[in-house]
Amino acid sequence: MMKSGLVTGIGAVCVSAALAGACRSGDQAAPSVSGGRVTLKPPVGRELREVSLPDVSQMEASVRTQVLERAASVRSAIDSAGARPSELAFAYGELGKLLMAAEQVEAAESCYLNAAVLAPEDRRWPYYLGHLYRIRGPLPKSAAAFERALQLQPNDVATIVWLGEVYLAQGRAEEADSTFAKALTIEAGSVPAHFGAGRAALERKDYARAAKHLEQALAASPHATAAHYPLAMAYRGLRDLTKAEAHLRQRGDIQIHPADPLMRDLDELLQSPKAYDMRGGRALETGDFAGAADYFRKGLALEPGNASLRLRLGTALFQMGDAGGALEQFEQVVQTSPQYARGHYSLAVLLAASGRRQEAIDRFRAAVKYEPWYVQARVGLAGSLRESGRLGEALAEYEAARRMNPSSAGAALGYAMTLVRLERYQEARDILTEAMALNPADPVFPHSLARLLAAAPDSRIRDGRRALALVEGLLKSQQTLELGEALAMSLAELGQYEQAVTVQRDVIAAAGKAGLDHVARLMGDNLELYQRREPCRTPWRNGEMP
Amino acid sequence: MSIFPVAVQSATRLLAPVLVAVATLTGCAGEPQEASPDPPPASAASSSAVAAASAGGPEDWFLERAEAVGLRFVHFNGMSGQFYFPETIPAGVALFDYDNDGDLDVYLVQGQMLGEGKTLSQALFQPVGPLPPRGRLFRNDLDVRSDGTRTLNFTDVTDASGIDARGYGMGAATGDIDNDGCIDLYLTNLGVNQLFQNRCDGTFTDVSKPSGTDRSGWGVSASFVDYDRDGWLDLYVGNYVQYDLGTDKPCTNLTGKRDYCTPAVYQAQPDTLYHNDRNGRFTDVTAKALSEPFGPALGVVSADFNNDGWPDIFVGNDTAPNLLWINQRDGTFKNTGLISGAAVSSTGKPEASMGVDAGDYDNDGDDDLVVTVLPAEGSNLFVNDGTGLFEDLSATSQLGPGSLGYSGFGTAWIDFDNDGWLDILTVNGAIQAIEGRGDDPFPYAERKLLFRNRGDGRFADVTSEAGAAFAGADVGRGAAFGDIDNDGDTDVLVGNLNGPVRLLLNNIGHRNHSVCLRLVGERRTPAAEGRDMLGARIEVIREGRPTLVRRARTDGSYASANDPRVLVGLGESTDLPTIRVRWPDGRVQQWPRVAIDRCTTLEQGPGAR
Repeated sequence: MMKSGLVTGIGAVCVSAALAGACRSGDQAAPSVSGGRVTLKPPVGRELREVSLPDVSQMEASVRTQVLERAASVRSAIDSAGARPSELAFAYGELGKLLMAAEQVEAAESCYLNAAVLAPEDRRWPYYLGHLYRIRGPLPKSAAAFERALQLQPNDVATIVWLGEVYLAQGRAEEADSTFAKALTIEAGSVPAHFGAGRAALERKDYARAAKHLEQALAASPHATAAHYPLAMAYRGLRDLTKAEAHLRQRGDIQIHPADPLMRDLDELLQSPKAYDMRGGRALETGDFAGAADYFRKGLALEPGNASLRLRLGTALFQMGDAGGALEQFEQVVQTSPQYARGHYSLAVLLAASGRRQEAIDRFRAAVKYEPWYVQARVGLAGSLRESGRLGEALAEYEAARRMNPSSAGAALGYAMTLVRLERYQEARDILTEAMALNPADPVFPHSLARLLAAAPDSRIRDGRRALALVEGLLKSQQTLELGEALAMSLAELGQYEQAVTVQRDVIAAAGKAGLDHVARLMGDNLELYQRREPCRTPWRNGEMP
Repeated sequence: MSIFPVAVQSATRLLAPVLVAVATLTGCAGEPQEASPDPPPASAASSSAVAAASAGGPEDWFLERAEAVGLRFVHFNGMSGQFYFPETIPAGVALFDYDNDGDLDVYLVQGQMLGEGKTLSQALFQPVGPLPPRGRLFRNDLDVRSDGTRTLNFTDVTDASGIDARGYGMGAATGDIDNDGCIDLYLTNLGVNQLFQNRCDGTFTDVSKPSGTDRSGWGVSASFVDYDRDGWLDLYVGNYVQYDLGTDKPCTNLTGKRDYCTPAVYQAQPDTLYHNDRNGRFTDVTAKALSEPFGPALGVVSADFNNDGWPDIFVGNDTAPNLLWINQRDGTFKNTGLISGAAVSSTGKPEASMGVDAGDYDNDGDDDLVVTVLPAEGSNLFVNDGTGLFEDLSATSQLGPGSLGYSGFGTAWIDFDNDGWLDILTVNGAIQAIEGRGDDPFPYAERKLLFRNRGDGRFADVTSEAGAAFAGADVGRGAAFGDIDNDGDTDVLVGNLNGPVRLLLNNIGHRNHSVCLRLVGERRTPAAEGRDMLGARIEVIREGRPTLVRRARTDGSYASANDPRVLVGLGESTDLPTIRVRWPDGRVQQWPRVAIDRCTTLEQGPGAR
């Protein structure tokens, strides 16, 4: 223990000194300096590679300590006359893992190769090498390394799946197919094996089998959104475009990987704010908000002033239902990084959601002040202004947002709704018509347009037939209370009051059943109009405008 | 002044005898009507001349000759150690015949000092060449002698050209916006983009403001495309992210070392579509024509992907799904990227798409896509089924595995050996510091890659066979492709970030035969030139062999503009092909027995149907 500590200390001193050009290489095994970097020379008489450590001078202190400690362990094992090859292999391997986690690929490769030479029966080193080559190439080396790891532990599903993945990446779909099949014989329900088998079948244009495997993967692991895309491609191949489109809409980035203790160990290794940020980001994506918050806190412990980490901590807390905690983090972000627009934006969204409109407006304004092209923030600002009744200002902000992103659906909708409130119905209609053409998959535009055409006070723009056609089109794919109301509005505009009354009654009943009694009461006003054979002239009640 | 020694015709050459004239065929239902003297013909000896004088060996497939032929230019990115994000994105290059003398001239995009109040003295790498730094125009003074030998020489004509480009340059796009037969130049910048109108007298006028194309932002790649088929080139600008130097965000790598950010740190800037109003003005029609979502765009290429006769647009986005805008023939586009299969990787992951190109690599009559990406991703090959649906064959084709470990930027489908199959060339350069480079002050350089199309759907990495020009490493970004020495094969102009421009002269393609075509529209006046008909679809119909389909274009690659002429490799065949052209307006014209191994201008005429 004492020796190890001493060696660590010496190593650190030597490496630091080496960076200043003061550390000279002595014996064969001592670190040597080349171009300002430290090289770990192998023990004399061993067919091992030199390991050139990366320049640690600009690394985060925590990472620098990690690297120097592990390098010192290697030095210690090299220097120790009594050290067994397996001990040296372990030291090299552990350093390799850290370097790989830090994306120092060449140095990591040398470490793993040395470890594999020293401990040829230890499957970890070819396994990690397989991953290293999988990520950066060359793939034939990756396949060979995984094949070697598999020889050492033949039925390890993680190794089999990764080997299959490498075969797929090499374009060896047939071999990939049989490799994933082998994994499934060992573990019939393996999600990553189904995921791989599905993609291998897709490569071979066996779309039905691809769909079967990928459906199985999704059934077992519904949150694995990465499966939706290849599944969509399988359905496209089967000419089922409806299913293909449905899966494309659910597409996401949550990847499917085998349970893999070795890689998990490596993933958790690096202690830097960025590394914790990445881990937290992955946890956020998979819905593990508590885990994400934990990672972000660890990152903040290393760098308390990191605004991005704190912002994400706030996001994780919000997702966990801790709005107060989120607010606290966001407030701290804008205090410590007053020019960080995203901090102001997130705070503004929380404030707006809790009805603190003026404060929200101030924060949105700060966000667009520091990032004038931040369209989301500008749309948020415009929305808060609109809700506050400051319609002229809102309109100006929406216009600015539309200039920056002419295709922004949010800006188009908000702009149109502000025009409605300003009773500029024709302009609102034109904006909604245009936006609907450009966003055919977004029902909010035809729905809003239908309400306007059915119930606008301006007779010049009312068009009951078109309103009805729009609503009927939407009802084919969704039935909501709001659409039911729009249907009744359209029928009333066409003079079909009996039908309007029937529909409005149905909608009120449905709202009641859903426990929305206050909504049902409000809907009663329109019902009374239709019963009096009068059309509706308020497309949206107060506070219901999208 | 001659740069090359007088050359001796290579014994290995198979080319036809030197031809002095280039036929200008204003075809009427396929009948050649007229032949007129035109720019220099393909020669039989230039490559051996080049080989004798260059650093590479005579058998090298490409010879790097920039400095030797007068292209003395070093890109300056204005870095001062602050790792401003824009420093890592430029620069593009352009090949275009601005003076209509039959050879390709060169425009090189330049940077500026970056950072509020920063001066050139604070630059980590001092600018090389005339100060202040600005984009430069080089005139090609190619001299082809009667024996076919030639001298390639470039002259810097920036000062006399009227092009004053002092923005922080990103890229260049070329097209004739006013149908006067003279090619105009659009420059994308970090800041305000610039449009230079060619006055047909060797000079340009800055029409950025009156044209309405001077939108500020961060444009990178752009494409001139007549999307409404009204006979006037419109403009699509691919924009990157919303960026302001004042709010530049510091980023680190995993170890905490300062490095360049990824685009995820910023908001994507929406792309822009401009409609040509035929009066010198363009109208921003983005809101009417395109819908969200956009992404951080780096590569743009237009082609008729679904073969309906209307041009579509493919946009390579960095870490966001690519866009495939399918022309709805009513002035609007629909993004079918995801269902098309060309938006993300086979696992559904958006990749860092940078360079893009469209071409018929499998000779089945439709345009396939090549997309360059980051080292852990491997370049993508999306193969078109003819309807605008693509299959990801990156792995099967070996392009993906072969490009792992490289950050690809400029790229093209280039039939470098003129065997009739489109190959792939990519220029590469890292975006984050490569570890293990010792004391390299700019550790981002990577080798170029060359993949030969084996004709069976697979590519072979032949980089190591291509010669010394492919052995060295640069921080490659832009690349433009065209026949710079008019010898019947495709050369490559490479824009390097913070480094010297490279000119790779092809030294192998001319060993096979080719047909070179310039597709021009009807002349506005008898004295005027017809404009290059970008988007024209060319079928090279060969007796007893498959028809080859290519298209006229200047877009694609990365932030760069290509030769508008179409060069089609014919292998060893000396048979004269029939050429059928579908013009951008949908009309079709055909010419039988078109000459090979020289450039022929085909002019759209009244005979088109």
